[in-house]
Amino acid sequence: MAPLTPYTYIQCPCSDASTLGRQADGDSPEDDDLDDRTFDPRAPRSNYSLYPLDYLNYCEDCQQIRCPRCVAEEIVTYFCPNCLFEVPSSNLKSEGNRCTRSCFQCPVCIGPLSVTSIESQPDPNLLAAPDGTPAPHSGPYILTCSYCNWSSTEIGIKFDKSNSIHAQLAKLNNGGTARLTAKDHKERRKEGSHGLAGPPAAPAPTAAGNGDDNEELDVETQFANLKSFYQSQLADSTAGSSGLAGLTDLGFSSPTSLSRIMSIYTGGTVHDRRAKARPGTMREALSSDEGLQIASLDESSAIRELHEAGYDGTISTEQSTNQPPHLGEVYLHGSSRFASSLRPIPYLLRTKRSKRCPVCRHIISKPEAKVATTRFRIKLVASAYIPTITIRPLNIPSSPIPGTLPPLQPSQFILTFQNPRFETIQVTLATPAKTPGRFASKVTVLCPQFEIDANTDVWDEALKDSSDKTKIRRRGAAGEDGTHQAEAGKIWERGRNWVSIVVEVVPASLRMDLLEATANPLKEDEDVLEIPMFVRVEWEVEAGGDEVGTAPGRDRETKERCELAYWCVLGFGRVSQA
Amino acid sequence: MSRRPPRGEYIETDTGNKVARKANLVGTQNIMLGGKTVIQPEAMIRGDLARSVQPSSSSGGAPASNTAVAIGRYCFLSRGCCLRPPGRLYKGAFTYMALRVGDHVFIGPGSVIQAASIGSHVHIGANVVIGELAIIKEYVKILDGTVVPANMVIPSFSIVAGQPARVIGELPEGGHEAFELRELYKTVGNNPQPAPS
Repeated sequence: MAPLTPYTYIQCPCSDASTLGRQADGDSPEDDDLDDRTFDPRAPRSNYSLYPLDYLNYCEDCQQIRCPRCVAEEIVTYFCPNCLFEVPSSNLKSEGNRCTRSCFQCPVCIGPLSVTSIESQPDPNLLAAPDGTPAPHSGPYILTCSYCNWSSTEIGIKFDKSNSIHAQLAKLNNGGTARLTAKDHKERRKEGSHGLAGPPAAPAPTAAGNGDDNEELDVETQFANLKSFYQSQLADSTAGSSGLAGLTDLGFSSPTSLSRIMSIYTGGTVHDRRAKARPGTMREALSSDEGLQIASLDESSAIRELHEAGYDGTISTEQSTNQPPHLGEVYLHGSSRFASSLRPIPYLLRTKRSKRCPVCRHIISKPEAKVATTRFRIKLVASAYIPTITIRPLNIPSSPIPGTLPPLQPSQFILTFQNPRFETIQVTLATPAKTPGRFASKVTVLCPQFEIDANTDVWDEALKDSSDKTKIRRRGAAGEDGTHQAEAGKIWERGRNWVSIVVEVVPASLRMDLLEATANPLKEDEDVLEIPMFVRVEWEVEAGGDEVGTAPGRDRETKERCELAYWCVLGFGRVSQA
Repeated sequence: MSRRPPRGEYIETDTGNKVARKANLVGTQNIMLGGKTVIQPEAMIRGDLARSVQPSSSSGGAPASNTAVAIGRYCFLSRGCCLRPPGRLYKGAFTYMALRVGDHVFIGPGSVIQAASIGSHVHIGANVVIGELAIIKEYVKILDGTVVPANMVIPSFSIVAGQPARVIGELPEGGHEAFELRELYKTVGNNPQPAPS
C-alpha cells in the first residue's frame, strides 16, 4: 500500500447546517447542540464540503471561505482547447458548443487528429533526398491519429481541402457518400415537384427516390422535417381557429402543447401568444418528408456485420458516449454499435469563468478575457487569508509496515501554521479528544492557543535574513544536545510568520475482535487516521471609516477585531493493521 | 548514488545554472539555458538534433540561430529525464524543430519530452512521455505516467493524466503559487540550503 502523504482539507461553511440556518437572522441565540456538534470527516456528506486550501476562494466582504461548490460562475470566454481560438457567444447558439474549425479528436482513443495529405505520405524516403523540390501538398486529405494510428480512411472519409474540415465532414456520410442536409432535401423536393430535369446536386446515398415515403433520415434531417411539418400544422390550425378550446388541449396532438414543446426545442421561434384558443387535434406525420421514421426492426444486417467484423468491430460504451450527437446518426436504436460508424469528434469548447460570492454577489475571481493570457483581474484565494497548515512527522514509533502508524502507541506530529496576512493573528485550535467513527483515536494538541506574527514583504525577509535565523526556535525548550522535548502549552518552533506546534495521536487498533458490535469488515480508507480540527483565527484591523457597516458612533481610533472559524480535517496517515 | 565528488557534484555557472557533472548534454552549442536552471545527474538534452534544413526562403537572410533546445529560468530537470527536439517533414525533407521551454518548468524523473513548446509554470511528473510537437501552455500540471500524444495542445490551467492524455481537471486559482521553483532551486547544488519548513 502506498504510504499516505499527510493532507489538510478545509470545510467550506456553505455546507454547514448552522450557518445555513442562521444566515437570515444574524444574532439568533447560540444553539447549544450546534456548538457541541463535532464535524465528522467520515460522514458521507463530508466528502462534498472538504477541499484542499488551493481550491478555496475568500470573499473579503463577507469575510468567509467560499468553495467551488457554492460560488456562482459566469462564463467570460469560450475557446477551443486545440486551436485556442476564441468563439464568440453568438456563434455558440448557431453552431453549437464544439469547435467548427479543423480540430478533431480520435473516436477510438480521443487523441488529437491531424490533417495529412495522402499524396506525400507513401514516399517520404524518396523525398528526403536533398533535391529541395518542395512536395506539392495536394489531393485528398485524411484525419489521422498519431496515438492509435486510426485514420478517417477506416470509415471511408477523405477531404478535398485541408482547411474547414468541420464543414466538409458535415456533408459526408461514413463511406464517403454525400450527406444531404435539410436544405438539400428541401431543394431536391422542390426540383422534383417542379419536374425539373437535371441531376441532383449529389448522388443520393440510398435508393431514395423523390416519392419514397420511407427514406432513411439521420437525426438532424428528421428533426428539420418534423419541425417544418409541425410548423405548417400549427399555421393551418390557427388559420381555422374557432371557439371551443380546453378539453382537447392536452396530449401530444394538441396544438398548444405542441407549440410549447417546439418553443422549448427550437429556441422560441414558433411560440406565439395567440396560442390561447386552438381547437381540435392535428394529424401526425405520415411520410419521411414530414419526419416520420419507421423503426427498422430488421436487425439482420447488424447481425451480419457482427459476424463479419467480430468483437473488434464493435465500439465500447465510452467510445459511443464520446461520439457527438446528431452527426449522421441513424434514427432509432440509433447510436452506432460498429467501429465503421464512428465519426471524428470535434473538440468541445472550453471556458474561462469568473466567480461570484453567492451571498454578497461580489466578484471573487475574474480572469482576463483573452485566451492567451493567464493573468487574473481579480483573484481572492483563501491561501492569502487563512493560515496554511502543514503536517510533518516528529516522533513515530516503528511500525511493522513501513509508512504506517502503529496502533495504540503515541505518535507525534508537527503542525506548522503559516500566516499569510499582514496582521498578527491569534489562533485557537480545538479537536475532539477522540476521533469520531468506529475506531476512536486519541488526540492531544499540546499547544491549542498561540499567536503568529504578521507576514511581511518578501523584500523585508531578504534584507534581514541574518536576524531571522535567531528568531527561529525562540521559545522551543531546546535541550543541550539539540533534541528537545515537546512540552504541553509551549510552541515547538516559531519563525517570521509561522508557528509550529506538536500534536500527539494515539491511533486506535483496527482489530475487529476488539469491537464489541457486529464487526463489519473494514471500509475503504477507514484505516486512514483523520482528525477533525476546529480552527479559530482572530486578527485586528484598523477600523476603516469607509466601511459600509461601520456604526457612526464607533470610535475611529480603536481597532476592529475580526474572526474566522472553520473546521478542517488533518489526514496523518494509515494505521497499521497488523 | 556514489559519494559526492570533491569538486562538487554540480557545475554552477555565472548565470546561476546548476548543471550536474553527470548530466548528459549532447551538442551543447545548441542548448540555451536561461539561468538559474538545475539539471540533475543523468538528465539528457539532445542538442545535437538541431534543425538540419534551413528555411532558406523565409527569415530574410538573417543567420538563423541553430538552437535546438531553449530553456528559460528556474527550470528543474530531474534525474534521468530526456529533452529531445521533435522532428517532422518540412517541405518534403525531415528536419528537427526547436524545443522551447519557458520559466519555472519542472520535469520529473524519467520523463521524455519531445514537445514543440512548453509554457511557463508547467509541472511535468515522473515517467511522462510528451509526444512530438505537442504544445503545452502556461500553468499546466501533468501527472505521473501520462502519455501526451503527438501534436496535442494542452490549454492553460489544465490538469492532464492518462494514456493517451486527457484533461482531467482544472487548476484552481489558489494553486498557482505552487509552480514557483525558486525555493526548489536553492535546495540543490554544491552547498544546498535546507527546504523551508
